[in-house]
Amino acid sequence: MLALIIDDSRAMRKILARIVSDLGFDHIEAENGREALDHLEAGRVPDLCLIDWNMPVMDGYTFVTRVRANNEWRNVTLMMVTTESEHNQIVKALAAGAHEYVIKPFTPDAIVDKLSMLGLLPQEMSA
Amino acid sequence: MNVMIEPSLHDVVSLTQEVWTSFLGYDEPLFEGEPLPDDATVVSATVTVSGAWAGVVSLQVSEAMAHRITAAMLGGSEKVDESDVSDAVGELVNMVGGNVKSLMPGPSTLSLPVVAHGRVFWPHESAEVVRADLTWAGEPVCIAVHVPLEQ
Repeated sequence: MLALIIDDSRAMRKILARIVSDLGFDHIEAENGREALDHLEAGRVPDLCLIDWNMPVMDGYTFVTRVRANNEWRNVTLMMVTTESEHNQIVKALAAGAHEYVIKPFTPDAIVDKLSMLGLLPQEMSA
Repeated sequence: MNVMIEPSLHDVVSLTQEVWTSFLGYDEPLFEGEPLPDDATVVSATVTVSGAWAGVVSLQVSEAMAHRITAAMLGGSEKVDESDVSDAVGELVNMVGGNVKSLMPGPSTLSLPVVAHGRVFWPHESAEVVRADLTWAGEPVCIAVHVPLEQ
């Protein structure tokens, strides 16, 4: 399974990379939504995207709408991981096609729980 | 029209503690502490909230603390440079600021973090409404919220 971590903070990408690596994911990284789209357009289509909201160049919400507009990427699971915690923004992201929403700060267990609910953990970890 | 309201000191400290323990570990709790010494070399990071509520959330730590925070967030095994320090301290204030924003009336937007090596000087048109002088691993950490004088 491949995870694409999209966050303008290198430190945050490293934290998320450690979590998904421990769960058995391979991972690639992008600093913003545009760079993430470049990965997908180049054929590096992940099973999971972890997406920050506020980023320069292209924000996470725009990235979600762009992914959902392309039917070839319909199987990509999209999870927002962001400090944006206003109710209307959560609703907006989910309505645009995000599957899950995690608010920073988070614990590794919060990410694991969400991935388990989405059926994205290896079976031995979901049990 | 903006709403004249401010976050409580308790909420800001709780949010900061949550960010600290989530990303810097439970081994070194964040305590109430002394202000940054006047002669300390400081890294400052701010995020601005604009909209129904307006304010600036700032974080100031010593250079040594900023490097320690950065190393912890990167996993401790990587070489830390100045851009990493700006990135890590900026992400911490981003998380505190984003959660302060969520406590205030919305809708509002959160800026990207701005990080500077040096102290923040505030314009006369703003007022400090929350200031928490904390200590982590023996070093001071200052978190503050400023609002425009006329909201």
